[in-house]
Amino acid sequence: MSIAFGGVVALDRVDLAVADGVIHGIIGPNGAGKTTLLNVITGIARPDTGDILLHGSSIVGLKANLIAAAGIRRTFQTSLLCKGMTVLENVMAGLHVKLRAGMLAAALGLRAVWRDEQDAADAAHAALDYVGAGALAERDGGELSFGQQRIVEIARALVSEPRVLLLDEPAVGLSPDRVTQLDALLRRIRDDRGVTIIMIEHVIRLVVDVCDRITVMSSGRPIAEGTADEVTRNTEVIEAYLGSALNAVDRRA
Amino acid sequence: MNRFWRLMLACLLLAALLPLVADRYTLFVGNAMLVQVILAVGLNLLVGYAGLLAFVNGALFGVGAYAVALLRDTLHVPYWLALPAAGVVAMIVGVTVALPALRLSGLYLALATIAFAQFALWAFMHWDPLTGGPSGIKVLPIEFSPLPISSGLGFYYLSLLVAAAICWLTRNLLRSRIGRAFVAIRESETAAESMAIDVTRTKTLAYALAALYAGIAGGLFAPLLGLVVPESYDLFQVVFQFAMVVVGGLGSLAGAVLGAALMVWLQEGLRAFKDLQEIAFGGLILLTVLFLPGGVAGLLRNRLGWREPLRRPVPRGLMRPR
Repeated sequence: MSIAFGGVVALDRVDLAVADGVIHGIIGPNGAGKTTLLNVITGIARPDTGDILLHGSSIVGLKANLIAAAGIRRTFQTSLLCKGMTVLENVMAGLHVKLRAGMLAAALGLRAVWRDEQDAADAAHAALDYVGAGALAERDGGELSFGQQRIVEIARALVSEPRVLLLDEPAVGLSPDRVTQLDALLRRIRDDRGVTIIMIEHVIRLVVDVCDRITVMSSGRPIAEGTADEVTRNTEVIEAYLGSALNAVDRRA
Repeated sequence: MNRFWRLMLACLLLAALLPLVADRYTLFVGNAMLVQVILAVGLNLLVGYAGLLAFVNGALFGVGAYAVALLRDTLHVPYWLALPAAGVVAMIVGVTVALPALRLSGLYLALATIAFAQFALWAFMHWDPLTGGPSGIKVLPIEFSPLPISSGLGFYYLSLLVAAAICWLTRNLLRSRIGRAFVAIRESETAAESMAIDVTRTKTLAYALAALYAGIAGGLFAPLLGLVVPESYDLFQVVFQFAMVVVGGLGSLAGAVLGAALMVWLQEGLRAFKDLQEIAFGGLILLTVLFLPGGVAGLLRNRLGWREPLRRPVPRGLMRPR
């Protein structure tokens, strides 16, 4: 897969290519345009110029729901699970376009609709088990902790069997134990399911450990790209971002 | 069978047996409750589930009532055809209003729809050749002549049948992907889009259903009252409808049913104090919002631990043979 942009206000001639089936980290100081980049990819924001290609076909200008239907799913920096639905129903909502029931068929409660619903429930249970949140299935989406919500959000994205998964700071609010579990989960998603993951993250330990490639952004521009080793040794990166981030980690330790 | 269904069946049974003990007045009140149940279910879909703060339902209730009056008593279309037609007319009007209003949200949507409600009221009042102006249109009661039942009793059971059917269809809809899409756009349009839910389409659907239900309710209300006059569809009707869904419980199907029954009962109790009604219903909305945010349904949910179409557990591994 290749993604290319140019000339977005918050993003200045960003040219990014993400290989299929890798975990690609995006790091950088606040305001570097990382979330804007995800918003542009998912169709929430529109680039002024430039193009976005998914497996060679342009998705720029498509409505956000169509981009999601094409197999690009995301999670949010501030979790957006729905209250008033169970966690399971939240995950089932991720299957919206895969369930094709029309209004009339659904209203009449036709057998085929009910069967699809049960399949969806089974798939949602499986996705929750997969991310290790199976026990939360019957809780209300609004009553989960911040960390639990982010994990369930991953299940909600995964249940639709996406080709690309975009994660916006999935480790925020997680305990060190949970970060380790997330690390293993991301590897499983990549290795078992072949999903390409693009992840914005400030928890450097996780990024360095799990990402196959890392892009460093600053002021709307990518300033370096490479493997974890290459990036952490790049002096420009250390000055712009990593220095302060690593110091912060040291101070906390 | 869970508690939700037991309660709904108890309501249905009670409603079905009411005519055995009721006098004409009580039967009329029961019938009015059934009409309001249909309205409340539609409004709760729109406001409670899809989260669209729109005030179109009072006016569309009127559109349905006028449509039936004109179709049946002026053009002599049979009632069995005029009633669904009233629903379709209201739906067309509702969606026509909704399409520009869909770009708006929150306060702007509320204001735009109040403007429509006032415009509709003005049209009911002043479009004399069609609506009969302030004195309205007389509507003949529905006769069930081949069947050996009186007009009042037959109409009560017809209303019960329609109300029960609408509740059942709505419950099915809510527990499908469409119900989840409503809640998803209520909670966050951005998140809904990123789950591949078409927000505009889902909103339009919520409007269309609420309008259809309001039109059908209007089509039942006109012959029940025997008269269609503008003042039945003014802003008080809007307040009354919101009282039903807020007191009953926003985002709860059972809440809409209970709220409708409760509010009609209260309105009848306050018949003698006409001026007090608006204050009473406004105050009731305020008190519920402040002290009982989930409404009656929320109270029952917490006390009885019952489950509804959404918020229901789906057992795992319930694999069926294919």
